[in-house]
Amino acid sequence: MLRYSLRRLIIGIGMLLALSALIFLLLRLTPGDPIDAYIDPNIPMSPSDLAELRSSLGLDRPLPVQYLAWLGQALEGNLGYSIKRLDQPVLGLVLSRIGPTILLMGTALLMAIVVGIAIGVIGAVRRNSVADISFSFFALAGISSPAFLSALIGLYVFSVRLKWAPSGGMLTPGDEFSIIDLLRHLVLPAALLAIAQAALIMRYTRASMLEVLNQDYVRTARAKGVVEFWVISKHALRNALLPVVTLIGSTIGLAIGGAIFIESVFNWPGMGLLLVDAVETRDYPVIMGATLVIGTCVISVNLLTDIAYAVIDPRIKVG
Amino acid sequence: MKQLSRLSAVALAATMMATSPIPAFTPAEAATLSGGFDVGPGGFQGNFNPLAATAGFTWLSVYYEPLVAYDEKLQKVVGILASSYEVSPDQKTYTFKLADAKWHDGKPFTAKDAKFTMELAKNAKTGSVLVARLTPVSSVETPDDHTLVVNLSTPSASILDTMTKVMMLPEHALSSIPADQLAKSTWWSTSPVGTGPFRFTRYVTDQYVELAANTDYRGGKPALEKVINRYFADPAAAIAALRAGEIQFTYVDSNDVPAFRGDKSFKVIEGNSFVVNYLGFNHDSPIWKDVRVRQAVMYAINREAIIKSLYGGAATPANCAYIADRLVPKDTEPYAYDPEKAKQLLKEAGWEKINGTKPITLLTYYTTPLATNVLAAVQAMLAQVGINVVPRAVDAPTYNSIVLKADADTSQFQMVYAGLQNGPDAGSINPGLNEKQIPPAGPNVVRARMPDLTSALDAALAETDAGKRDARYQQVCKVMNTNLPWGTLWVANRYGVVSAKVKDFVWTPAPGGGPYQANPQKWSIAE
Repeated sequence: MLRYSLRRLIIGIGMLLALSALIFLLLRLTPGDPIDAYIDPNIPMSPSDLAELRSSLGLDRPLPVQYLAWLGQALEGNLGYSIKRLDQPVLGLVLSRIGPTILLMGTALLMAIVVGIAIGVIGAVRRNSVADISFSFFALAGISSPAFLSALIGLYVFSVRLKWAPSGGMLTPGDEFSIIDLLRHLVLPAALLAIAQAALIMRYTRASMLEVLNQDYVRTARAKGVVEFWVISKHALRNALLPVVTLIGSTIGLAIGGAIFIESVFNWPGMGLLLVDAVETRDYPVIMGATLVIGTCVISVNLLTDIAYAVIDPRIKVG
Repeated sequence: MKQLSRLSAVALAATMMATSPIPAFTPAEAATLSGGFDVGPGGFQGNFNPLAATAGFTWLSVYYEPLVAYDEKLQKVVGILASSYEVSPDQKTYTFKLADAKWHDGKPFTAKDAKFTMELAKNAKTGSVLVARLTPVSSVETPDDHTLVVNLSTPSASILDTMTKVMMLPEHALSSIPADQLAKSTWWSTSPVGTGPFRFTRYVTDQYVELAANTDYRGGKPALEKVINRYFADPAAAIAALRAGEIQFTYVDSNDVPAFRGDKSFKVIEGNSFVVNYLGFNHDSPIWKDVRVRQAVMYAINREAIIKSLYGGAATPANCAYIADRLVPKDTEPYAYDPEKAKQLLKEAGWEKINGTKPITLLTYYTTPLATNVLAAVQAMLAQVGINVVPRAVDAPTYNSIVLKADADTSQFQMVYAGLQNGPDAGSINPGLNEKQIPPAGPNVVRARMPDLTSALDAALAETDAGKRDARYQQVCKVMNTNLPWGTLWVANRYGVVSAKVKDFVWTPAPGGGPYQANPQKWSIAE
């Protein structure tokens, strides 16, 4: 067991190294560097003005040297400074973004699960009713609308027209921090982010419930005279949820993609906003740092899952 | 079954509670003005260091101040931290009399601070983007606490324009930081000290910057208590915040303007962008060698139609880099739309042999819907006379990496659709056209090698008699109009929208955001 875990850990570290080298290489294949991003073509500024800056940032050194220099510092926990904002260290920038992103994605996931399962069950139980048809329509619309579109429409309807929620940001500028204020800013982007996931969960729940409701044991339960509520919630739903739970895990990737759009439109100060901005300005250290942190999270979660499987299910042989 | 519907009803109600009717959102109190001050081409979100500022001066000049700045019409340079200034007859000595001002921390602003700032701005180690522009400055002297003398090695017509970008910095706060560490200092975004009407209070990362009134401001106590600069990753989000009443001001793209016209809650501010748009012929490509081909491009494009239908009339055709009457000579060729003449010129030049209908890459960094439409129109109009251009839009860093390379690949940009600042200082266009500015030395990306043009530009820049300068730039205009280093198109207007509740607000779409005399201490907001 210990050997297995250790081996997985070493593979994980190797994957992180490979990931960082790959991202580094891909970044340098992208045309334009941070200094090119600094020059506004409309404003007469000489590239020679910035040559000094380019060399002071070490951007004129050979690629392997730059990568090893970055890696050496990263191993010491120093991810360097943002190039666009020289006064801000990358590690601080990245760490300060993780919280808001987790808050946004976690809230969205929770909303998606609650709404998706609830309407999925109603749809299955009241098959072909008005409610079922309208929920299915909602699901289709939710799955097929891209995040940037639903974000902009949601912004227009709920912020600009109805004024139910602020149009962006995480806190009201100038005010002191309060939970109420945070929730007010959180609800709209989280709800919009939840739509696509809720729609998916709803469809899976509905299909899975329909299948389960036709099973013999459900009929048996009803024949025994069990109250319908318990038949649905205990006998049917619990079994129907198994594939849904697997699905929820795999839609987290979808949520990360959506979060990047939502964060941009709502100016939510998370990892997505940071990454988009960094890519636009070719801010290499920020892109590298953010990718490394995201990569570490994903690899650690996978590692823990694998180990957990081995612990929980004795049929999985390890070693 | 009944129980199930009750359960689901509760679940639904709970989720709806979680997603909606929150009490109506209330915008910040009235003595606060919030805006998207760094939205649009003049903005620079996230930059706090004026030495590194290529844009963003609208906001920086709310808490920092330069010695001099443009007036709000961007016509002349006026004193800000300098109460007055004098230029010696040989144009080599500029003497600034400094105002009696205090830093936000209470210490007096003196000539020593001004000298310290000039030295930082001239030192490439600080990451200053002003170094090349300040090359003519040979020495800076401080005869007394209220006088700064700037000596030039050679007269320079654009030095005052450059001085408007030099925001004064406090020696007492920054002198202990080594020059090469200055750009990395956290001082800029945590505790900066300026002399402006508002002082820095806090920056909430990527959300907003907050300033509070500097009650000791020499120009009087500001009417507002706070000014907030909200950050927006997406201009559409800034407009949404403006409509929702959360901010009172933002830059808007011209295609968003009609929605605000006629709406009494808003005022639309229109101004000259001071950016001339052009089709740049890559002179390293042999296809543009014959001037008749370049003339044909000018005659083939119906600029009036494009301005009318795509810009809503809010642009002025340009037949050289300038549109101001004082800079454009009377006998300029207007290149009125004439496709027949264009075809004739191409025939005379032997276009069939030069290039024929082979595709010509037209590179641009403009990715807005407006630019896409403009390029589609240009492509169609040129196709009508037999020139086959293929537009390719890339982001600005990609564009720069292609065109600014010393050994650039001509086939990647036989033509560019671009813009260049043409004012308030008419000399701004020099780096884009002077032969001495061909990359990597400068941004003459079209590789114009035209001796007449270079000498006309040099003569204009060296003209020490302000009265004769306009005539010199007229000569530049004349040469451009005849030799066509670019196919000049137009100068468009740019827009800002401000809430009708805001009074005495001064804003103009200055290149790089200014600086100009905006008098933020007078801005106020009605209840």
